[in-house]
Amino acid sequence: MNSTAQSAAASTQSAADLKRWAGWVVGVGIWLLPLLWINLTTYLVLTVAGVTMGMLLFLTASGFTIILGLMDVINLAHGAFFAWGAYTGFTVLGALNKLGWVETGTLGQSLVSVLICLLLALAVGWVLGVLLEWLVIRRTYGSHLKQILITMGAALVMAEVIAILWGPNDEVVLTPAAFTGSLDLWDVVIEKFRLLAILVGGAVFLAMHYVLQRTKLGIIVRGGVENREMVQALGHNIRRIFTYVFAAGAALAAMGGTMWSIYTREIRPDMGESNLIFALIVVVIGGMGSVTGCFLASLMVGLAFNYVAYSVPTLALGVNIMIMAVILLLRPSGLMGRS
Amino acid sequence: MPEFILSLHQVHTFLGQHHILQGVSLQVPEGQALVLLGRNGAGKSTTLRTVMGLTPARSGHIVFNGGDISRARPFEIARAGIGFVPEDQAVLYTLTVEENFRLAMLEEDQASHDRQEAVFALFPDLKKFWKSKAGVLSGGQKQMLAIGRTMVNDHRLLLIDEPSKGLAPILVDQLAESLNQIKSRTTIVLVEQNFRMASRVGGDYYILDDGVVAHQGRMEELARDHQLKQKYLGIA
Amino acid sequence: MADQHPPQTPVQAQRAQEAAGRYTRAGLWLQVILLVLLALEPWLVSSFRVMDVAAKVMIFAVLVASYDLLLGYTGIFSLAHAMFFGLGAYSLALIIHHAGAPLWYHLPLAALLATGLAVLVSLVVAFFSLRLKALFFVVMTLALAQFADILSIQWHSLTRGEDGVSFKLPGLLDVGWSGGKLWGLTVNGRLLTYYIVLAAAALLFVGLVRFVRSPAGRVLKSIRDNEQRATALGYKTFNYQILANVFGAVVASLCGVLYALWVRFVGPESVMSTAIMLNILLMLIIGGMGTLYGSIVGAAFILVAESWLADGLRAVKVFLPDLMVLQRLADRWILYFGVLFVLVVIFFPKGLVGSAREIAARRRARVRE
Repeated sequence: MNSTAQSAAASTQSAADLKRWAGWVVGVGIWLLPLLWINLTTYLVLTVAGVTMGMLLFLTASGFTIILGLMDVINLAHGAFFAWGAYTGFTVLGALNKLGWVETGTLGQSLVSVLICLLLALAVGWVLGVLLEWLVIRRTYGSHLKQILITMGAALVMAEVIAILWGPNDEVVLTPAAFTGSLDLWDVVIEKFRLLAILVGGAVFLAMHYVLQRTKLGIIVRGGVENREMVQALGHNIRRIFTYVFAAGAALAAMGGTMWSIYTREIRPDMGESNLIFALIVVVIGGMGSVTGCFLASLMVGLAFNYVAYSVPTLALGVNIMIMAVILLLRPSGLMGRS
Repeated sequence: MPEFILSLHQVHTFLGQHHILQGVSLQVPEGQALVLLGRNGAGKSTTLRTVMGLTPARSGHIVFNGGDISRARPFEIARAGIGFVPEDQAVLYTLTVEENFRLAMLEEDQASHDRQEAVFALFPDLKKFWKSKAGVLSGGQKQMLAIGRTMVNDHRLLLIDEPSKGLAPILVDQLAESLNQIKSRTTIVLVEQNFRMASRVGGDYYILDDGVVAHQGRMEELARDHQLKQKYLGIA
Repeated sequence: MADQHPPQTPVQAQRAQEAAGRYTRAGLWLQVILLVLLALEPWLVSSFRVMDVAAKVMIFAVLVASYDLLLGYTGIFSLAHAMFFGLGAYSLALIIHHAGAPLWYHLPLAALLATGLAVLVSLVVAFFSLRLKALFFVVMTLALAQFADILSIQWHSLTRGEDGVSFKLPGLLDVGWSGGKLWGLTVNGRLLTYYIVLAAAALLFVGLVRFVRSPAGRVLKSIRDNEQRATALGYKTFNYQILANVFGAVVASLCGVLYALWVRFVGPESVMSTAIMLNILLMLIIGGMGTLYGSIVGAAFILVAESWLADGLRAVKVFLPDLMVLQRLADRWILYFGVLFVLVVIFFPKGLVGSAREIAARRRARVRE
């Protein structure tokens, strides 16, 4: 009797294992599908482009997902921070170019200019984030409807202010000299800036992972995502932590905006809007509040977008909507979300 | 005149439209376990949550350790020296036992770590599951975690809400033993439905009924007073 | 005998009261006066601009009211409503554009196509609205709307992309047609179109009001207030939410047809973009959610302000030609709407009509005491 029960238990165990393995195989294998209609070299180039886009999306989406998970705040103005970061970078590069650091200059100068861009974007995002949280978001805790309405309004205002300060037209962003051009690895052409973007995105992911998993602040944030009230009752000023987290999310989005603008070389006042859509898709796929889920989903969206955009540009967003729909039907809380 | 560590004066609390606490006044003497008794919905848990600032009082005063905390926010109250063990424990399931402790430890100094060792002596299971997620613990272990993590701080008062709920009788006895050890160092306010537990731990008692204090006295007297028990607690 | 007349239920009592007050309420007279004014408008003010704003106010009032049916009455937060408007507008424009020459039957055909498309797409949307958490539904509809916008821009062979489609209307409705004078006013295609818009908008609006007051409308409200209770009472909340989604979408898409009919031009920016969705939200919030009539106030407020505020700001530009930032400050009048929007949501969440009703109810309560 006992042994049958054991073997039955073992077989359900192995069935569960098999299912998990099948999930992994399908989950990874599906990314090889484009090889059916794209040749290998192009596929690799697109993959690098997809990973780049994923990393940059992660910068925006990760802040959004933590703000949503911890504070239960839907911030549709998140894309506006992205745009502000992009314009900050644009202005910094324009100014540094007058010193001869950007379009000409050494590798060191290029690196330093990107670094200044990123730091200033972080600062601008942080300040705007604190302001928005104080002035607007505080009044909307507990009401998603109000949050969506108010932050849509705030996004509009922030985009309009950009149009007033910098003008309503498209602008061209300079790329620092050392990052123009591309590397050629066995016929796979990789733009240098893409490598930098992947490095920056990966570094942010690792840093974020470290802060959330190892530091006390991280424990407070993760605890707060699960049970805000208890974290307060244990002696933590959750409201101040809300402000910090909101500002940090805004700063990351702004940094993402800077990287993105240098990557695509053009900026518009309403560029935050389309970025927000992708970030939202990422957050929904990844599961709200989960940074790892967000990272995986960013890569998925970036890759899917690039594979499809290469063949049928019009459908690139559509495919991502489809992925989102399928994942939601299979797992209503997203990849790593808690139900 | 005994020294009161916590006193409530005419505290009124609303949850939405509902008037839950309708003028609760009570005094907690230092160095014992005071038990709050009463039927479901009498306002026992709300009393603890109001002291903690989680459902702030609309009127009345709450004085802790000589200071008025009626308008303070929960984290300020916790830092002033009150530990809170809510109903259903509220351990953070996605965090490990260790992380639950780190979250609760307000000052990371030697004294806190010493107190943490004392908690291990009291609840050895916590050390055993130190690196596991709190979500995998048994009900009794979760309760130990919820109580133990608040004890790493130098709190002067612990508010504990129905620790015996859902525990096997043998665990209840163990828990009562632990609380008796704790109360020698830290004053406890205990909300309890389990009379056996309450009578083993409690010193003074208050009975709440429909949001007001209906009766108060010493636990030993209540244990003998069958009429009173029948009237307010529905037990003979 | 007494057994045959059981006591009235509260709902019956409320209905009886509404029925008794139907022809005496101030609201009814306001509606009649509004309708008469709109009908006489071409004779009262001989300005094309005023007529243009009046027609757009009518169309947007219905569009916003149909959105109110979703958000205010049913609690479904969709950001894809402008997409349905766009579907309707493109239906008419593309039929006429691709047919080569405008014919009469194109109009009913467009209305039919618009309705069909709206039903199809809204069924898909409704399906998701029932499966997903509210937040995910918002994201889904926002993404869907964006996708429609991108399609309308990039599917150049069908939609002519960002250039948009301008087209002519058949026969009497053509701008070129003129039928002489009537009481001092030239009767032309514009005027006839105006009356078509007026009649259709009035009809659709009455339809929405009837829908909201119908038994189905009451169920929708009870679902919004407490879905579990409605389910427990035995209502298939599922079906009612689908109904609301589809009905709202069809009205929105018919509004799109009317809009295309009136402006004779359809482009992504003017019918599909997020800006339209923002406008709808703005009008709804300013007018007041869950009131239906608030949509008229909101649409009038925004469209009139848009039309004349832009002028005022242009005047500012003339007086201060030197400062670039000030110039742009005057150009970007949408900024002020955004600020207004945020302020209204924070300080005035019930909107104009909602707040007015609240004040009236309070006064009535005081009188009764």
